[in-house]
Amino acid sequence: MTRSISGSHLRSQLRRNLELLQVLVDMNLYARYRGSFLGVYWSMLNPIIMMSIYTVIFGKNFAPYYRIPDDPHDNPILNYLLSALVGLITINFFTAATSQTLPSVVQNGSILNKVRLPVAVFPVSAIAANIFQFLIGSMPLLVLITLVKSHNILNLIALPFPFIALILVSLGTGLTISALFVFFRDLPYFYELVVFVISLTTPVFYPATIVPDKFRFILALNPLSSIMESFRQIALKEQLPDLMAIVYALMSGIIVFVVGFVVFRKLQGEFMDLL
Amino acid sequence: MQPICLENVSLRRRTQEEFSYDLKRTVLYFLEGKYKHPPKKLVLDQVSFCVEHREKLGIIGANGAGKSTLLKVISGILQPTQGKAWVCGRISPLIELGAGFDPQNSVIKNIISYGVFLGGRRRDMIRRVDAILEWAELEDYAHTPVKALSSGMTARLSFAIATDTQPDILILDEVMSVGDASFRNKAQERMRQLWDASSTILFVSHDLNTVRETCDRVLWMDRGRVMRWGNTNEIVDLYLKAVNEGADIGLHHHKALPDSQPAEGPAALNGSAGPPSLGEPAAFSPETIYQGSGGEGSNDQ
Repeated sequence: MTRSISGSHLRSQLRRNLELLQVLVDMNLYARYRGSFLGVYWSMLNPIIMMSIYTVIFGKNFAPYYRIPDDPHDNPILNYLLSALVGLITINFFTAATSQTLPSVVQNGSILNKVRLPVAVFPVSAIAANIFQFLIGSMPLLVLITLVKSHNILNLIALPFPFIALILVSLGTGLTISALFVFFRDLPYFYELVVFVISLTTPVFYPATIVPDKFRFILALNPLSSIMESFRQIALKEQLPDLMAIVYALMSGIIVFVVGFVVFRKLQGEFMDLL
Repeated sequence: MQPICLENVSLRRRTQEEFSYDLKRTVLYFLEGKYKHPPKKLVLDQVSFCVEHREKLGIIGANGAGKSTLLKVISGILQPTQGKAWVCGRISPLIELGAGFDPQNSVIKNIISYGVFLGGRRRDMIRRVDAILEWAELEDYAHTPVKALSSGMTARLSFAIATDTQPDILILDEVMSVGDASFRNKAQERMRQLWDASSTILFVSHDLNTVRETCDRVLWMDRGRVMRWGNTNEIVDLYLKAVNEGADIGLHHHKALPDSQPAEGPAALNGSAGPPSLGEPAAFSPETIYQGSGGEGSNDQ
């Protein structure tokens, strides 16, 4: 099919997509917080409560794994607590962003049936709203922890890289599941299970070393593990950012994103028959 | 140059029954070896026509004839399976009012987002908010959520937004049936303005009197095919005659004809064919339209 729309060069297309994104993110955030700005911090309650629970239950037993040798001021319980917090922040971003992306295409089926829009703006805007929320809510906390623990501005500069990897993983997953949801309306049940499996196989509240060696590869397959480890290495260790950890995190981000992008593009053509 | 030109556009879509299938069933079917590819139905069959610049084209036909589907192809929402569709210019769709509004959000915010959806620029929409509110006579409701508006008000609002910027092609699908009399007059007045400022208008309606009053030409769709295309009064008369004589127009599918898609495609229409030539440019072959005149015999000749 040939379709020539006057003035449809790349730049105006890009600008239009950005404006659509802006409007959709605005709608999304407004729907969630109804103008109460503090609502963003409400979402911090969950990781803080979970962190406290984990520390109370597992803190004493897991603390030895978090001990920093030759440091007289070391507090392994505090190390465990912060490690769990960073893990929770990571996994919560992924869970919240992807489960909000899941219905994004289907929910906007009626507008997609009226106006010609680039379908991908809907999942992307759901992720973007979560990025915004992360930057206001969790990021300042991470910055503070990084400054206190690492005493190094370089670690602060490195902090955005695992976050970019996290965004890519969430975006890739979000694109895949939002496309699949068009075809399989019972997907949320399965996705709930997947999220549960992912959050258990990511070392959020336990040290990765307690997993037997022969099962360790399962953790390595989980793209969130490397991202989480990179976050922890940068924010919690008193050492320079580990470049290899960052590269590893970014690689897994890029792979998941590319898969999601390809799946979405491939299925996109058939959306309209089912919306 | 013609703003809209369709050449042998055919469209296949999944059938309605497929809408509710789920992962569990698909996986189980797959394991049991019962999985089939979803069947597709021919909803537009070799549709060809062109719309002239500044023309007002009415589209009539029974429910399920493919009128709205045709508009979706023209709007670029659906891609034709076969054939080509050329569309030049900015399209403003008004298919079903109120879709795309966020009911929780205020009228002002919705004006901006809806305007951007329709292809406007955000900063232009912010500038135009007052004018749109004034035209829709909703100044007092600027900050109320859209869900608090009545359906007539919602219709006024979306009409006001969609027609605020001059679109090159305006699509109206059963819009005029909502709103009070004063709104209808106002809407008609605005359509006239848009038309004067060289808009092309596509108008879908079951209200044949309005079609007669407003349209230059009429396209009569029947089961995915173009039945007739031409002079408004002539086509509307033929259509009414066919309806009154109980000719077979509508949802029933005919037995497969030799040259139609076996068991799938909406087969050709019987009986209600009028004079074969309407003096229109033959952008489609008459055979496509009049095939299958066997059957129950002619009603009007």
